[in-house]
Amino acid sequence: MPSFDVPEVDYTRYSNRQLAGVPLAVLALALLVLAAWYVLNGTPVSLGLEFTGGTELTIHATSAQAASQDAVRQAFSTPVSAVRSIPSRPDTYVATFGSGADASTLQSQARSAGYEVVSTTSTSATFGAQSQRFALLGLLGSFVGMAIIVFVLFRTAVPSGAVVLSAFGDIVIPVALMNVFGIQLSLGTVAALLMLIGYSVDSDILLTNHVLRRSGSFYESVDRAMKTGVTMTVTSLVAMAVMAVVAYAFGIELLTSIGLVLVFGLATDLMNTYMLNLSLLRWYKFEGVSR
Amino acid sequence: MVDVRSNWRVALLVVLVLGSLGALFVPGAGPVVGSAPAENATAGGGPTNLQYGLQLSGGTRVRAPVVGLTAENVTLPSDAGERSTIATTIADDLDNVSSADVRLRLADSAGGEDTVEVFANVTPSQFRSALGAAGLDAESATVRDGVTAATRDEIVETLSNKVNSLGFSGAQVSVQSTVGGDAHYIVVEVPNADLSEVRDLVSSRGQVAVLAYHPANASAQTNDTVLTNEDIRRVSDARMQQGSFGSVPVVPITLTEEGGASFAEAMQRYGYTSSAGISNCQYPNGTPGDEYCLITTRDSEVVGTYGMGETLASSIERGDFQTTNSFVLQTNSMSEARQIAIDLRAGALPASLDIESGDVYQIDASLAERFKPLSFLTGLIAALAVSLVVYFRYGRAKIAAPMLVTALSEVVILLGFSSLAGLSLNLSHIAGFIAVIGTGVDDLVIIADEVTTEQVSSDRVFQSRFRKAFWIIGGAAATTIVAMSPLAVLSLGDLRGFAIVTILGVLVGVLLTRPAYGDILRYLLTDDN
Repeated sequence: MPSFDVPEVDYTRYSNRQLAGVPLAVLALALLVLAAWYVLNGTPVSLGLEFTGGTELTIHATSAQAASQDAVRQAFSTPVSAVRSIPSRPDTYVATFGSGADASTLQSQARSAGYEVVSTTSTSATFGAQSQRFALLGLLGSFVGMAIIVFVLFRTAVPSGAVVLSAFGDIVIPVALMNVFGIQLSLGTVAALLMLIGYSVDSDILLTNHVLRRSGSFYESVDRAMKTGVTMTVTSLVAMAVMAVVAYAFGIELLTSIGLVLVFGLATDLMNTYMLNLSLLRWYKFEGVSR
Repeated sequence: MVDVRSNWRVALLVVLVLGSLGALFVPGAGPVVGSAPAENATAGGGPTNLQYGLQLSGGTRVRAPVVGLTAENVTLPSDAGERSTIATTIADDLDNVSSADVRLRLADSAGGEDTVEVFANVTPSQFRSALGAAGLDAESATVRDGVTAATRDEIVETLSNKVNSLGFSGAQVSVQSTVGGDAHYIVVEVPNADLSEVRDLVSSRGQVAVLAYHPANASAQTNDTVLTNEDIRRVSDARMQQGSFGSVPVVPITLTEEGGASFAEAMQRYGYTSSAGISNCQYPNGTPGDEYCLITTRDSEVVGTYGMGETLASSIERGDFQTTNSFVLQTNSMSEARQIAIDLRAGALPASLDIESGDVYQIDASLAERFKPLSFLTGLIAALAVSLVVYFRYGRAKIAAPMLVTALSEVVILLGFSSLAGLSLNLSHIAGFIAVIGTGVDDLVIIADEVTTEQVSSDRVFQSRFRKAFWIIGGAAATTIVAMSPLAVLSLGDLRGFAIVTILGVLVGVLLTRPAYGDILRYLLTDDN
């Protein structure tokens, strides 16, 4: 029968400093990206329409001369802030307008220029500002809630702090990657980030539990936890990667962005759990406890 | 022989899966909760009893706050006449506000307090000064943005009536409030409707009135409202009626007793029933000072003008009209007549919606219908990918096969639940189902690894290992639930559905399916080993 095994890593070859250095450097880089983004654009992440307010029209060109991004720009009397085509759907374009544009007017302009209006999303600026506040509240709320649960589960500062720090990286690094890959923060990606908060601590809890509460040496415990944990994370990662690819091919943008953000997050989680969290646990087990 | 008592979890799982399949596929086993979603079943269609939201069936959703201000901490007189004077005074003091835009509510028996609402774009300070002008204590009154809950309920009811009378099936109208209740939105979801249709529906108030346009003196005309929505008891269908000037579109109505009496009294007082008044209307070309017209208006727009008929005039004079109270509203076109019949039946919206401060979502049915199978297919392919990974990792059908069956049964149970609860599925729910497969398999991996690290010799060893695995699963489940719960309460668009599905999935998983998987593994690994 075919089978693959999780490779065993000889952690004794690396010092805690070496192990923690890589994820911490990546985290610092991610924070730098967010800071630079903030300085350049006024927000740490590029916000989607649901948060900034505005109107987005997905239109399908019914004639050959309408099937170009320039033609789409010409079709509206309101200035178009962005046009993009959808690769998996031929002759389909997404035109974005700033807030204040009237959705019904835009629809009728598109129709009279020879386009079919496939979908329309319009959010007012006030509504968007409110969603922004709620999304931030939601992210903060669930992160704090997760941290509290972790502290209740382990009741010791260093291991719990290690889990929370690694979860923090699991959120921040994907957000920075979103900027790099040009994925906007939408309701869908907020959902993905929240899911990451829940998902990513699973493997950390597993690792910490094996090291602190099971018999056997530190390295035996780590090996066993890794075997299970890596399988878990890789399974989810594959599921999400497949979802992202398939949804992209089908042109379902919401599922694509949720899938991509989770792929970023779960990959980050592998690094954070087995380098950052592990080195902090090892420090705690061998040096921290005796202090 | 399988002992049912020690495998009750597996038995329960099987029962639930069968029940869910029944809820999904048996025709007519639709939603059991609420009556509004039941109408949605027609919008869902397809081979299952699942219902689909706009994203997967097509249509328009408009979400908007109500235009208006509310004054609280006021004391209103108990006399209805005095209250109506106050309302008129407030309306007169404000620009572009009619007395229909001012609503005074007395504290009801269920608690609450006296309130004054104005349903127009006025500033709080303007409203405050109008309250003062009407003799209310403007100093102590607190003026806030928005309207009362009673008004919102009225709007929801009126809008539901309207969408239903327009023949849109599966439409839903509801109130969405933010946490803390500082903002409320009216949400109107209409499957298979275009944005402009829904916009017209929610932005027009549908206030129908009949005005008497009659001489004020020898050379000038004046307007007086003689009938409004409130005076009408029954509305018949719009139709063409043969009149003295050919066939005209009409809406036959029956007035309330008071409405009929006051209408008859007004007609006599203004001189419509006199010989000068009968059939004397050339609006808008007549001579000022010698015109007796009745004008039907809808939201202050003229939709019909006509003179007093001879039959009606004599019936009013004889007093017959006051017993039948039947009247015929005339309009200029049949479409206006139909619109008026709908407005009269559904009632007028107390206030209009501020679409500019809300949001709009519209998706073409053809695209949405395409998303439906594709999104399910996406989920299926993701599940298949999970199966392959699990199979390659374990290479043992005894462990991998029940793992997949268990994870999929979680999704089946959730789908069955959605079908029974009448949940309208959107893309975010499908993402939630995929997330459930993901977390589910994660936990099953933990259980499998935990119990198979060494040869399982006895039931007792199995139990202790399973309990250890469960500690981790419980912890992980708690974090997922906590991480998702803000979304379940914050009104962040469709994310609520996603959060609820994920939380339910985790609960079903931890309480039922994952322990059941443990039982299955125990049976497979300890029995006759």
